Amino acid sequence: MHLTQHLRGSLANKAMGNSTPATLEQPSLVSFSEHQRIDIDTPADGEASGLGNSNPATSDFEALAVHRYKLGVSVGFGGIIMIFAALTSAMVVRSGLSDDWKSFGLPSVLWFSTIALLVSSFTVEKAKRALRNSNENGLRTWLAVTTVLGVAFLVSQWMGWLNLTERGLYLAANPSHSFFYVFTVGHGLHLLGGLLAVGYVTGRVWCGHHWVTRSAAIEAAALYWHFMDVLWLYLFVLLLVWR
Amino acid sequence: MATEVAEHLEVHRHPEPTNFWTKYIFSIDHKVIGIQYIILAIVAVFVGMALSLLVRLRLVWPDKPIEILGTLFPVGAPEGVMTPEFYLAMLTMHGTMMVFMVLTTAPQGGFGNYILPIQIGAADMAFPTLNMLSFWTTFVSFVTLCAAFFVQGGAPIAGWTAYPPLSALDEATIGGYGQDLWLLSIAFFCIGSLLGALNFIVTTLQLRAKGLTMMRLPLTVWTWFVTAILGLLAFGVLLSAGVLLLMDRLGGTSFFIPGGLLVNDIPIDHTGGSPILWQHLFWFFGHPEVYIAILPGMGVTSHILATFARKPVFGYKAMVYAVVAIGALGFVVWGHHMFVSGMSPYSGFVFSVLTMCIGVPSAIKTFNWIGTLWGGKIRFTTPMLYSIGFVSLFVTGGISGIFLGQPSVDLFFHDTYFVVAHFHLIMGVAAIFGMFAGVAFWFPKFFGRMMSEGMGKVHFWLTFLGVYAIFGPMHYLGVIAHPRRYAETTSVDYLGAAGANEIHYFVTMAAMITVTVQCLFLINVVWSLFKGKRVTSDNPWEATTLEWVTATPPAHDNFEGRIPTVNHGPYEFSVPGAPRDYVMQCNAPDAAPARKSGE
Repeated sequence: MHLTQHLRGSLANKAMGNSTPATLEQPSLVSFSEHQRIDIDTPADGEASGLGNSNPATSDFEALAVHRYKLGVSVGFGGIIMIFAALTSAMVVRSGLSDDWKSFGLPSVLWFSTIALLVSSFTVEKAKRALRNSNENGLRTWLAVTTVLGVAFLVSQWMGWLNLTERGLYLAANPSHSFFYVFTVGHGLHLLGGLLAVGYVTGRVWCGHHWVTRSAAIEAAALYWHFMDVLWLYLFVLLLVWR
Repeated sequence: MATEVAEHLEVHRHPEPTNFWTKYIFSIDHKVIGIQYIILAIVAVFVGMALSLLVRLRLVWPDKPIEILGTLFPVGAPEGVMTPEFYLAMLTMHGTMMVFMVLTTAPQGGFGNYILPIQIGAADMAFPTLNMLSFWTTFVSFVTLCAAFFVQGGAPIAGWTAYPPLSALDEATIGGYGQDLWLLSIAFFCIGSLLGALNFIVTTLQLRAKGLTMMRLPLTVWTWFVTAILGLLAFGVLLSAGVLLLMDRLGGTSFFIPGGLLVNDIPIDHTGGSPILWQHLFWFFGHPEVYIAILPGMGVTSHILATFARKPVFGYKAMVYAVVAIGALGFVVWGHHMFVSGMSPYSGFVFSVLTMCIGVPSAIKTFNWIGTLWGGKIRFTTPMLYSIGFVSLFVTGGISGIFLGQPSVDLFFHDTYFVVAHFHLIMGVAAIFGMFAGVAFWFPKFFGRMMSEGMGKVHFWLTFLGVYAIFGPMHYLGVIAHPRRYAETTSVDYLGAAGANEIHYFVTMAAMITVTVQCLFLINVVWSLFKGKRVTSDNPWEATTLEWVTATPPAHDNFEGRIPTVNHGPYEFSVPGAPRDYVMQCNAPDAAPARKSGE
């Protein structure tokens, strides 16, 4: 507020001083504020430590980027929620419509998936806390643990699908299986996107990179990761109840 | 309030590109991407119009050999006579091309992309790279859709609504990959639109210039914003439905294919699916999609009417609330597309009442447009004419919607030409007029030259009369119970007796003339690009919003390293006591002494 108000104030004062009716549209009478150039690929502070920012403009930009990335991810939730809401309503309708619905036991490995993902939500939160406390070692460790748990989740899901096919429960065998595959694969693809994001920031953090949108990227990836966790819990309960 | 300061330290975070590829092809500049969307839509609209002409030809001369068609389409039109399947394929592709590739891309992705960041005083969209990705995903979708023409079995024949089981079963059609490519194309399109919607929402919420409160936003920005919300919530549902249908086709599942089905005496090996389920999912997307197409046109119309009537928009706040109300109600009326699907009369009643409710904000908008014009010092420029044309078409198309929203009346009108007339006028042509208005209005800002007013006016009048000549008589065809989507009705007695054949002939002639006239628009664009009158000021229309304060065409970062500060509402025309009859949004705070500005 303060900086821009000051800038605007000074420009507006200048403008008022020259104010004559016929020249309203002249650029001198248009309120502008100057802004500074920031290159996002330069290090946040020019030092390797990454602790604290000497340049106030850069730190303001960082705060803005955090807000923007998190807002972007949150808005994205709206779209993803609608995708799975549509599939849920399709399943409710489809299972209620006809008598060909056959229940089946979920592969027990899904319990392992669930635990892995719950723990990963905890670890990504630890990583975020480490970031906010400028604890670089903690950040590196917890991000790496999260990535490993994410991979473990996907491997575990893969084993779940293998388990189903071994039991002869293929995609088209019964609508209950069809929906199981649709939900788990749909979630898996979204999670894979999250895993790529987490893996990307993990890799860059391990390489010691400090870029201006680093906080933003980590915070946004963590937010998305939590959402994937909540989405999975919802789907898991849904599949347990409605299989 | 660190973020607030940072907002004004925000910069164009990507440097100005230097080589051809990053400047014009894989550009992350919202202005280039906007133009790319518009070019895509122009290509698609001409393809779509050509397809509609084939449809019209087949309706009037079902058996007459047309030699050139035989040469062009040896499979679809052997010896120059179009097969019924070919007719349906052209119909399907016409609808898909127009609804997705034209009405959804240009108003939002095109004009929204170019103008929205400038109107809110931003240097670019919130996520420029994502913006590029949105366009190229849409482009892949377009290419995939076009590919459906060229695969074995040809383009799909299930209509743009792709109702199963026709869309799900090869046994019911010629077969082939057309429908698969169609579904793939729609899936890509959904992804591109979802990414674009996300970008628009974040940009509008976060990148507004200092002083630009939500209630000072130009109505164009409001409609793009609400459209983005609709897109975000609607396209995911279509994506889900499309994936399920694709799995029914390729994976052997039975989401939408019922059990015990016989097609051409062949028993179909599926159980228990529900075609009605597809209709619900499709129309849950499909109805908001109608507003995705028309809302930006409403915004452009409001904007242009105020500018050329030299008056503030009548009831600005009411206009904003009406847009939001239309968007919200758009999600709870999908059932009115399905009155004849066997739904419970109670559900039908609820959907009908909710549908009627949309009439209220729509009427508010129309009333306020007329209120804006009332007593104004009207300048009849080409963009103004297109906008007034939009209001006319919106009213005409809207009134027939009130008939169709009654379940009892819809039982008769459903799947007749009355419906064709209704949705073409309100969703198709009205939205297209919004785009014409947008092109004519912002052309000088895009390219620094004015479009030819003479050519523009001729084009407006011929098109305006032409579309009424095409779609007006279709209401009558609906009243005489002429079913739509039939490839051949010339030999049907009750239709012939009521004069349907003559009307079809007239409509086809009107369509051919109107399509030809559209070349005039294209000529006007190309001619004006090179020979149009150069603009002498950055604000040739004497408008108020921020795009008119920046250079023409705008610099790479829109405001050349500065960001405007907004002190006024968006439509401060004819302000008492002000030296000129308009006050721009970023003029000094005391520029409009007599009126409280915008808040």
